[in-house]
Amino acid sequence: MRTHGPLPLWDTLHGSVQGVNKTRNQDHYDVEGLGSAGQPLIMAVADGHGSAVHARSHLGSRFAVDLFVQQARQFAALAEPRGELRPPSLAWLMNYAQYTLPRQLVSAWQEKALGHWARTSSHEEPALSPPDKLVLYGSTLVGAVLTPRVFAAWQLGDGELTVVTDDGQVTVPLAPDEADLGDETESLCSPQAWLRVRTHWAPVTTPARAPRLVSLTTDGLSKSFASDSGFRQFMAGLDDRLSAEGAECVRAVLPEWLAKASQHSGDDTTLVAAWHTATAPAGPAAPAGPAAPAGPAGAAAPAEPAGPPEPAARTPEPADISDMTDPYRSE
Amino acid sequence: MSDIPGGPMMNRPVHFIWLIDCSYSMQGEKIGQLNYAIREAVPEMLSVAQDNPAAQLLLRTMTFSTTARWHHKDPVPVEQFTWQDVQVDGMTNLGEALQLAARELDTPPMPQRALKPVLALVSDGVPTDDWKAGLRAVDATPWGRKAVRVAIAIGADADRNVLQEFLGNPELQPLDANSPKQLAAAIRWASTAAVKAASQPVAGFADVTVKQPPYAPPVLDDDDDDVW
Repeated sequence: MRTHGPLPLWDTLHGSVQGVNKTRNQDHYDVEGLGSAGQPLIMAVADGHGSAVHARSHLGSRFAVDLFVQQARQFAALAEPRGELRPPSLAWLMNYAQYTLPRQLVSAWQEKALGHWARTSSHEEPALSPPDKLVLYGSTLVGAVLTPRVFAAWQLGDGELTVVTDDGQVTVPLAPDEADLGDETESLCSPQAWLRVRTHWAPVTTPARAPRLVSLTTDGLSKSFASDSGFRQFMAGLDDRLSAEGAECVRAVLPEWLAKASQHSGDDTTLVAAWHTATAPAGPAAPAGPAAPAGPAGAAAPAEPAGPPEPAARTPEPADISDMTDPYRSE
Repeated sequence: MSDIPGGPMMNRPVHFIWLIDCSYSMQGEKIGQLNYAIREAVPEMLSVAQDNPAAQLLLRTMTFSTTARWHHKDPVPVEQFTWQDVQVDGMTNLGEALQLAARELDTPPMPQRALKPVLALVSDGVPTDDWKAGLRAVDATPWGRKAVRVAIAIGADADRNVLQEFLGNPELQPLDANSPKQLAAAIRWASTAAVKAASQPVAGFADVTVKQPPYAPPVLDDDDDDVW
């Protein structure tokens, strides 16, 4: 078995503030792990829509994050199997990330929301159809998994996945081609929501060139800036501060930053970020063979989840997609 | 250390546009009551804006009669807004008014970064020009499609079908104002509820399932002696 080079280690910071005049914070987030094979880094933020028609969205965002973490653990376990198990091909993993995970996640979220409704609604409440019930729980989601072998991320609705590359370039790889106007967003409660999940797929072929900062935020942060470039400048500044002053200094002021942003966006504002701190000794990993090219790659899931993925402009072409049913097919 | 990195921060604007019928049929008490009702509603709009400090409420007014023209062309922050009475003039060229509004709902001049605009149409009659072309022009703009729309039908002669088409949503109804008291209540509702609706987040496909829009008009009392 071959080993990778030095593995990246990640440190994290996180914070969330309630929007001005909001009765509760409808954002939810979670972060765990270090980015190693045994402890994959998993991050997620979700933004419950919050208005009267989404009265239970604070629960919907919590369900979204909790269920994503479960799905992400499964994904990471597939990508980095323990012991002598042979890891699946990157092509198979990419297919899983683009089609299987979004469908499983949305299905689990809907089941969770409908189950919660069944347990907690009273007979006095008006009879609602299942889609109406799901609307009550509407939420967005941005989630990411980093293992020594793979960096993958998913987004449904607004919010941002921001990546600062090893050479300092700020990218927002899952930004839609055309942003929704106003405060409308796609949602876990949308019909066939799994088709609206955007996926970022970036196998790590050169650990030394892994991103140095990965950040997940709800739209309360980005919408506080007068322009998109202002948000990117914030991310560049965050990266600079982490490099120059260290994590503790940034942790100390993060609540103040988020509160200021929230005053301008009026929205709950959440940030979860991970940045490279060091490298660790090499660990067991994938078999030898050509991997898909590294770097950001985003693509919206096409309409048909089964079968080989559609080629997309920013999606790396797998070595061979002729047989996606065999996870252990050699690369 | 505590200074936040990044570009300047700014609240997002809510552009509120009154579209007011100033045809001859509005002459007399109707236009007088309308001027009074909007003037009285401004402090309530200011109150709503203060409750939602993340939104910057900007007001404009357009009148339409034989021609359509801006009464307040440039967006005015609600804090600086003072109502100037409108006067009646001639026909009911709603189509021209909608064409004029559509030009402002494109990007640019409307910024990409904004909350949904509000289009509030007040009319007592039947359009005398190609209003459907005007409505198509509004619907062809990105912000026109997203706009929160409210419509107030003054008196029995108002063409409710036109107002219904303007709303563009079968689950919304024009609000009937058949008396001065009802008109005041309708203006007050349109001034405030629509602004709140414009600044609330919703799932993009909610129109398929949401049965009770957040700005559904109220049921107005009809106990006024003076009925139009």
